[in-house]
Amino acid sequence: MDGTNGILPELFPPVPFIPRVPREIGLTPMNYHVTERPLSRRAWLRAAGMGFGYLGLAGLLAEEARADHPLAPRAAHFEPKAKRVIFLFMHGGPSSIDTFDPKERLDRDHGKPLPIKRPLAFADGPVGPLMKSPWEFKPGGQSGIPVSDLFPHVRTCADDLCVIRSMVGEGVDHGAALLQTFTGTSTFIRPSLGSWVVYGLGTENQDLPGFVTIKPALSHGGAKNWSAAFLPGAYQGTAIGNAGLKVDDIKGEPIEYLANQRLSAEEQRYELDLLQNINRRHQALRRQDAQLEARIQAFELAFRMQAEAPAVFQVEKESAATQKLYGLDDPLTRDFGWQCLLARRLAENGVRYIQCTHSYKWDQHSELYNGHTKNAREVDKPIAGLLKDLKARGLLKDTLVVWAGEFGRTPVSEAGDGRDHNPYGYSIWMAGGGVKAGFVYGATDEIGYHAVEDRMHIHDFHATTLHLLGLDHEKLTYRYSGRDFRLTDVAGVVAKKIIA
Amino acid sequence: MTRMTRIDTGLNRLIKLTLAVAFVGGAVGWGLPAAAGRVDEGQEFFEKQVRPILVTKCQGCHNAKFKSAGLDISSAEGFLHGGESGPLLSQENPEESRLLKVIGYESSLKMPPTGKLKDEEIAVLAAWVKMGAPWPGAAPAAAAAPRSKPGAVREFSEAEKNFWAFQGMQRPAPPEVKDARWARSPVDRFILQKLEAKGLAPAPPADRLTLLRRATYDLTGLPPTEQEMKDFVADNSPDAFGRVVERLLGSPRYGERWGRHWLDVARYADSTGNDEDHRYPHAWKYRDYVIDAFNRDLPYDQFVREQLAGDLLPGSAGEEVNRRGIIATGFLALGPKAIAQQDKKKMLYDVYDEQVDVTSKAFLGLTLACARCHDHKFDPLLAKDYYSMIAIFAGTRSFKDPDSHVSVVLEKPLVTAAEYDRYQAANRAHQEQVKRERIALDEILDAEKERVVRAEGPRLAEYLLAARRVYHDGAAAPGVARQAGLDEGHLAKWVEYLKPGERVRQHLLAWDNARPEQLSEAARGYQERFRERLAEWDGKMVKWRAQYAQALAEQAKAVPERPRFDAGEDRFFSDVYLEGGGPYVVTEKDQARLGAGDQERVKALEEELARLKKSAPPEPEMACAVEDGEPVAQKVFIRGDYNSHGEDAPKGFPLILARESRPASEKGNGEKGSGRLELAAWLTRPEHPLTARVMANRIWQWHFGEGLVRTPDNFGKMGERPTHPELLDFLARRFVESGWSVKAMHRLIMLSSAYQMATENPGAGPEADPENRLLTRFPRRRLSVEEMRDGLLAIDGSLDLTVGGTLQQGRGTDGENSGGRLSLNPEKLKRRTVYVPLRRANLPTLLNLFDFGDATTVAGRRQLTNVATQALFWLNSRFLTESSLKVSEALVADKNLDDAGRVRAAYRRILNREATPEEVDAGLKFVAGARRGGWQSLCRALMSSNDFVYLD
Repeated sequence: MDGTNGILPELFPPVPFIPRVPREIGLTPMNYHVTERPLSRRAWLRAAGMGFGYLGLAGLLAEEARADHPLAPRAAHFEPKAKRVIFLFMHGGPSSIDTFDPKERLDRDHGKPLPIKRPLAFADGPVGPLMKSPWEFKPGGQSGIPVSDLFPHVRTCADDLCVIRSMVGEGVDHGAALLQTFTGTSTFIRPSLGSWVVYGLGTENQDLPGFVTIKPALSHGGAKNWSAAFLPGAYQGTAIGNAGLKVDDIKGEPIEYLANQRLSAEEQRYELDLLQNINRRHQALRRQDAQLEARIQAFELAFRMQAEAPAVFQVEKESAATQKLYGLDDPLTRDFGWQCLLARRLAENGVRYIQCTHSYKWDQHSELYNGHTKNAREVDKPIAGLLKDLKARGLLKDTLVVWAGEFGRTPVSEAGDGRDHNPYGYSIWMAGGGVKAGFVYGATDEIGYHAVEDRMHIHDFHATTLHLLGLDHEKLTYRYSGRDFRLTDVAGVVAKKIIA
Repeated sequence: MTRMTRIDTGLNRLIKLTLAVAFVGGAVGWGLPAAAGRVDEGQEFFEKQVRPILVTKCQGCHNAKFKSAGLDISSAEGFLHGGESGPLLSQENPEESRLLKVIGYESSLKMPPTGKLKDEEIAVLAAWVKMGAPWPGAAPAAAAAPRSKPGAVREFSEAEKNFWAFQGMQRPAPPEVKDARWARSPVDRFILQKLEAKGLAPAPPADRLTLLRRATYDLTGLPPTEQEMKDFVADNSPDAFGRVVERLLGSPRYGERWGRHWLDVARYADSTGNDEDHRYPHAWKYRDYVIDAFNRDLPYDQFVREQLAGDLLPGSAGEEVNRRGIIATGFLALGPKAIAQQDKKKMLYDVYDEQVDVTSKAFLGLTLACARCHDHKFDPLLAKDYYSMIAIFAGTRSFKDPDSHVSVVLEKPLVTAAEYDRYQAANRAHQEQVKRERIALDEILDAEKERVVRAEGPRLAEYLLAARRVYHDGAAAPGVARQAGLDEGHLAKWVEYLKPGERVRQHLLAWDNARPEQLSEAARGYQERFRERLAEWDGKMVKWRAQYAQALAEQAKAVPERPRFDAGEDRFFSDVYLEGGGPYVVTEKDQARLGAGDQERVKALEEELARLKKSAPPEPEMACAVEDGEPVAQKVFIRGDYNSHGEDAPKGFPLILARESRPASEKGNGEKGSGRLELAAWLTRPEHPLTARVMANRIWQWHFGEGLVRTPDNFGKMGERPTHPELLDFLARRFVESGWSVKAMHRLIMLSSAYQMATENPGAGPEADPENRLLTRFPRRRLSVEEMRDGLLAIDGSLDLTVGGTLQQGRGTDGENSGGRLSLNPEKLKRRTVYVPLRRANLPTLLNLFDFGDATTVAGRRQLTNVATQALFWLNSRFLTESSLKVSEALVADKNLDDAGRVRAAYRRILNREATPEEVDAGLKFVAGARRGGWQSLCRALMSSNDFVYLD
């Protein structure tokens, strides 16, 4: 970083510089010895070459590089299928047996008692009878993947979907399920999936955060679901508003502190030049200190970010046709449509991991019909719009789109016309990013309570997601507190069968 | 359908086979050599049916090489031995064998993990197990060999026993050094000796204003004032700095800064985090206790005792309730909790685990919680040690009601039991009164509803049809009503209810989708079901009214609650008649329909209810705390699974530390008392090898940025070794001998030459000591987020120095996506940061941004980062805009200053030093060249500068 951008001239004489001592307080001058060009920390390490405990020097240097540029793009472990992820999160737990996993037996045995022992339930009270789906399933596309009438638009994209009908988690309450979905565990505070991905791969665009979560939920773990935990803070997800806010409240300042409310860019540059003058002088009076230099660089990067980033958030710059494709013209679909369209813009602009959240909607312990109908209407068109738009732009092939809730819902009714939580066997789907298209993987039992075929535990889902991104979940580790941690802890099997 | 039939047939065949084989093999038992003929049949069955399943479905992971979960079933021996969770087979009761549970997906562990075996395969394995699991070539003796018990006491190796952290503290004498003048404190001798050994000299002393800034932020988290700067510079006496230290230690600001350090260790927050993030309504009292403990220099051993067992300690003289002691146990009570977890036993053991974790890391610097599933991987800490500590917390209560759907945390009254009982009685009476007034009100409303349903209910079908003509066909309501002879007002309500709206009503689909010719029949259907439901409901009401009247007549303490209806049972009935805003429903809003007398009565009852709401008896002062519960006969849980029990784990302390004292300190399983007092007593023994060392190291680290042991929460094998072991022991001894006085440690450390060094050492560049492990210089450090924020507020003059109390009331939590789930925004507050309440799930952005930590795990040391998003805060936050504006306005308003004087004042106020002439010139040039707001920009640049943010 040499010189400033020239609005304000250098205010201070060049180094070396001996501070003049203010006479009135009579301090003793210190003899600063300023080398011409201070050694970088890496250079000392190379020069010293020893004495760094059990860490090998090469490892230390790699860590140093990562510490200097935490978000710089890094090579994957092997050739990746997907370059980025868009995770569409349906908070509350959409029912699989009413969306992507039809169960004839429920039609047949509607009203009969549950034929198996009920596993740990969330709901208090006695177990209800089997309840058939109020929606009809119809085959979609060439593949004929059955999709219920809740998702007519998504059904038209059936040939792009890889439906996984055998997801398994452990959290029977929302908090535990969200935390496990996003961090692998609800027992400990661990880095989130997005943080691991950005830690592993860095990000393409240094002017934007590498991990963005749009309108995330504040409940059920809240920010822990996009936190970097013990990974360096640079890998934390950047929240765009939160689920409690309306799009119009967010648009003005999508990222906190991104815009200066008072100064023009030129005025701000003028002020920043003074600041950098002060900082450089401060640094020149001290021996090389990597953190001082890093903070100087951070200001330049931030200044660039605030100039570049806002344009990406200007969803209204999209054509009317595109906005319509995502349902931005309809108040019902506008919110999630905006999220999906913003996700595509972020994806296009090199953001590595993007999450959209439909919160907190899908938790129909009662009135399943009313709730699910409304929820699906809000997201169906935007999701189909996103898939079609990504495909049309050639982005779908290396963008992994994931649609998932934190769990599914029970085949037995709760409170007469609702369904309880079911983490024992539920459906999600993936699209693009190197997964088989028009493919169904895994199966639940006859009533849709337990996954029985090709079970995909959340750990397996994480392992598979990382695999598609070219990361080996067993090698993507971070040493913390004397131990190598990984997203999948000691578990995780890549579901090779779903990879195209 | 066809597939089912096939399976059924297959199963039948298998069941027959199973029975046959079981009969044949019935006599084969474990440990007995089976008769040859039978074995042959069994072995054939094994080879043909069983082995293929084991090979294809199990041995991928459970083989001799991978031994997943310690299990190898590629050989008979391995199979019989079982895995870490125990044997696969039950000899007494083969059908209860673990193998069958696991493959049947009946236990929490489900195998194979990728999918359940086919029913046929399960039947084969079941049959085989029943046969006694014959395995060709198996040495039956293998089965009889006792498994080595998990967690069995093992011998510690010499290396483990001799590990430095488990050795008693030494009494090292400060070593001889060459430069005795520099070594003004014994602390310095330990530092200097190592420097001299490397031929290095310590850094020169920091200049006085740098030292003053350093010490003031260090002890109070705030900048020195201009007056303090002037006074210190003018004070030429040799103990000038000593007096600064005393002044700072005497300031109430000291506890706010150092208490915050401890709150990091205690992973303090004001909510449960995890799933539901309920508020701990009284957590702030613990926070205030900690601040006060530091301010009053509460001896650290007492501090430890109170936090672990304060509720069991006597109060001070004349105090019936040990308020302070109860509050102090917030240390144990305020951890993260998964209160919505439905496996309540797991939830409780997770809480005990968290308590073991915080206790062992905070006081012992040991990661004992790593021994939950197996003996610690690196340290000589046994699973049994862990469960012995768990036994203490399992006998301690943290919940008022752990078993409710969302568990309720314990709140303890800070008044006597008698006083609390009086409150509870008064509160119950009050609740009962509210209930009765509410019932009286509902009964009036119900009378009206019942009147209408008697009059109009029998014509429900007609109302449905008529309403449809209005909302569907567009006919005018009055005409339709007149024509059909229906009540127009009631019809209007049906129209309102039936016309399609946002809510998608499944129970009205039959109505909405009926073809014209089906309408009459559909309407009759609705009417008939309604009639049946109403009859049922009326029956319930009649019964309840009789009970209610009787309870009133008998002056019973409590009257029965009104019956409830599960809306999902019949949403049409519920909507229409009970609570869905339907045609019959009468609420207070409909009072106008009532007769004059009833209207008055309703008004009076409403007023009474409003009055009662305000006059609830005030709850006595409470604290979030723990108390002794029922003792638990704790076992070692194999692999952490509470269903797999190993040996007994009576209350006790880690064997490696308590080798001799363990039996004496142990309380047997089931013995009364949680053992927390004994734990506290054991920890605070003056000779304890870890307690004093760990805290002395923390104090050193909070002064120097790095500890003598650089992993303050982990003194184990994976932690770092002390850079100055003798100094550590010297400090720890001094700490104990000074009566565990933290303030004495500050004096000892801060009056040393080491503390007063400059951050630059002309004689020893960074390459001589890259990580400053020798302390060639005082480490430069970034201000913590609290110091930044509080410092800026102090500089702009708006810091509110009110001590203690809470900024937020309330219990439970807020709606799933309510902004109430966020922590209060410190950028909009003026109190010191330590007083900002912390919602664990959503910490304030500012705190997240500047590395505050997660307030969920012990954080003896914060991990600092340096990223662009932080710079965005300095560039654009309203907080900084306002703060810099305040400072600049004060500068401009000061008519005693010329512009050069203003620049100098800005440097003094913000950076706590004098500006050099170049800096004055530069400042003047900058302000003159600014288009607008030059002074504010100057102030903001200084506030954002490395000069401000880093402490030399």
